[in-house]
Amino acid sequence: MDPSQYQSNELAQFIAQEKERAMVNEMVGKLTNVCWDKCITGTPGSKFSSSESSCLSNCARRYMDMSVIIMKRFQNMQ
Amino acid sequence: MDAFSSSPSSGSPSQQFSADDFKDQLKTQLAQAYAEEFLETLRGKCFEKCITKPGSSLSGGESSCISRCVERYIEATGIISKSLFSAPH
Repeated sequence: MDPSQYQSNELAQFIAQEKERAMVNEMVGKLTNVCWDKCITGTPGSKFSSSESSCLSNCARRYMDMSVIIMKRFQNMQ
Repeated sequence: MDAFSSSPSSGSPSQQFSADDFKDQLKTQLAQAYAEEFLETLRGKCFEKCITKPGSSLSGGESSCISRCVERYIEATGIISKSLFSAPH
């Protein structure tokens, strides 16, 4: 492999990693946005109540579960 | 000098834009874009929660609500992150 090929592979890999990182950040950001609205109903306190923190973690997981169901249903309709 | 160059525009061979320069610039710009988007979300959420009836100035209550809101929202981001990337029940 000549040096310029190595460099362009290395850069392609770097870009793919950064892209994945950005997609993960986007997912976390979107979920936090949605779950905050669902779970933090009153004025923000100096800490989360245990029901608020479990609501937040449940929310993220149930959203992902829902995502799987939607994909399956959608693929069944193709 | 444009956003992607780190050398003066005379561009002599000894001052070429290297792969490392590119990687640093990309990481920096991605981090900046992320921070700006996060701040915009914080502004929206905390305005909604804390400033229900805009007055002629921010009250002490509104200011402390805003501080708590920022802390809580950052904490919420951590909780969501952890619940997605740790072992499911």
